[in-house]
Amino acid sequence: MTATDFFSLMPLIIIATAAVIVMILIAVKRNHSVVAGVSLAAFALAFLSLFRITAVTPHTLPPLLIIDNYALFYMGLIFAASFAVTLLSYNYLKSYNFNLEEYYILLLLAALGASTLAISQHFVSIFLGLEILSVSLYALIAYVRTWERNLEAGLKYLILAAQSSAFLLFGMALVYASLGSMNINDMAQLLSGANLGPLALIGFALMIVGIGFKLAVVPFHLWTPDVYHGAPAPVTAFIATVSKGGVFALLLRFFVAIDIYNYESLVIAFSVIAIASMIFGNVLALLQNNVKRILAYSSIAHLGYLLVAFLSGNNLSVDAATLYLTAYAITIMGAFSIVSLLSGKEQESDKLEDYRGLFWRRPVLSAVFTAMMFSLAGIPLTAGFIGKYFILSAGVHSAKWLLVIVLVLTSVIGLFYYLRIVVAMYSAPTDDMPSQPGISRSVSFSGVLVLAGLTILLVWFGVFPQGFISLIQNMVSSLQDVYLSMIV
Amino acid sequence: MSNEIQLWPFAVYTLSVFLIVAIMVILSHFLGQRHKEKETGEAYESGIMTTGTARLRISPQFYVIAMFFLIFDLEAVFIITWAIAFKEVGWVGYLGILVFIGILLVVLLYEWRIGALDYAVSGKKIVKKFKQLNKEVI
Repeated sequence: MTATDFFSLMPLIIIATAAVIVMILIAVKRNHSVVAGVSLAAFALAFLSLFRITAVTPHTLPPLLIIDNYALFYMGLIFAASFAVTLLSYNYLKSYNFNLEEYYILLLLAALGASTLAISQHFVSIFLGLEILSVSLYALIAYVRTWERNLEAGLKYLILAAQSSAFLLFGMALVYASLGSMNINDMAQLLSGANLGPLALIGFALMIVGIGFKLAVVPFHLWTPDVYHGAPAPVTAFIATVSKGGVFALLLRFFVAIDIYNYESLVIAFSVIAIASMIFGNVLALLQNNVKRILAYSSIAHLGYLLVAFLSGNNLSVDAATLYLTAYAITIMGAFSIVSLLSGKEQESDKLEDYRGLFWRRPVLSAVFTAMMFSLAGIPLTAGFIGKYFILSAGVHSAKWLLVIVLVLTSVIGLFYYLRIVVAMYSAPTDDMPSQPGISRSVSFSGVLVLAGLTILLVWFGVFPQGFISLIQNMVSSLQDVYLSMIV
Repeated sequence: MSNEIQLWPFAVYTLSVFLIVAIMVILSHFLGQRHKEKETGEAYESGIMTTGTARLRISPQFYVIAMFFLIFDLEAVFIITWAIAFKEVGWVGYLGILVFIGILLVVLLYEWRIGALDYAVSGKKIVKKFKQLNKEVI
């Protein structure tokens, strides 16, 4: 290990140290504000340290890790999202009177796991990162254990995630057995267009099951609505952004490196998954009456859109996927912030009726929520539109017509249920509806900060996308250049 | 490939294991005697009558201790692995194990402070509470 090695791992070291410091703080004296403050500082510091590291990228720590601009971008996304989640959680947890401080340790560790995924180039570090992420999530999902739904969600996630890890691990073992390497770069060179043997094919299929579970794509999506519904709203936001972002970063790095586009069977498998996700996610969301469940099904559909970008396999695909993921992260974080800010102590305001007539009581919040819904639906002037535009152009560029047509058609279906929430908010309130305690509560300063930041980002991204696009192109195109040059 | 291991003996072996077990079960099913007396269904046909259920509630402290055993037992695995490779890993390894043990110490401190190491309810606390209640009554 040289000084540069340590320097390039700075963000991870900061987060890991912060987790230990929080543990010491709890041992000394429990104080919710102090612990939340330390976690916020850690995320901010880790985020800022990324800018310094650009000086030494790309830097490899053989054999496990690689720190390139692509990884830095995804780590930035992870840390920024975790920062927002921490602010929301502080506000959300304040009203509970059990041990709150451990929540932040788990949050820090989960972010650490997700960023490990972003910098992994070896099966060992991939699995390590994935396990740190999911073990922290098991506890985070079931954190408010006084609710029945919460425990149910935690248990479901525990059982299914453990099973999917087993699939992933067995897949890795088979790939290793047939290729003789666990390093992504070595694998890329060993394969380099050669035919996959039956062992490797089964191995990749099992790995797709494991990764598909974490990304919640059809047919591995069954946990999503229950976990989204049962988990505390900030944790749901965390799953939707950090957990999926980290795993998607890994998916892109791994399958772009081995040049999946040469393997018809894998491309077909992913295409089927993408089409099924878009159709099932959007159609099932129509049947829901709970905002968190609607967002859960919509997240399945959005991951399907992301896979379209990934499958298009041209020089636009990594850019488009990253752009879309960024836009989606901003939007879904905003949507779940509002759900969590409106939630009372006893239960969350997540039923569609809770939002009926919201505009007449909380005009600003509903305006922001409307903007988030428009972005999810992909209406112009929001971040979601730019993201969807790039995905479509990537798909059209590669003439993936079936995928593109399904994307367009299901987006129209999606519009219906997003607008259903919006219509509910703007319809006139009735007198006899049950009043939610959370609805009338004033929003705390941290909540305002998160919402304002996300709304500004959303609109800015939507109106002046050029800056974001060139940033993303600068950062992530390194991935494709490196691997494409290696393959050719 | 001369050094390739022959697989067919293994297959024959596996097959014969299943075959023998199947034969044993099937033969004893048809040839064996069977009887249905009053006591046949009892847990101990010729022993003492059972009392109560076997599903006892075990104090959660047992599980906590079992978990600590797992955690601290696994530590030993890592430390011994480091000790074996002491010369090869050099100062970097030393630094790594220092960080590792440091984190474990912090964990121990944390566990002690949150009361996870109390095997039973503290006697002092009971006496304190008792005195407090007594005062309130008086």
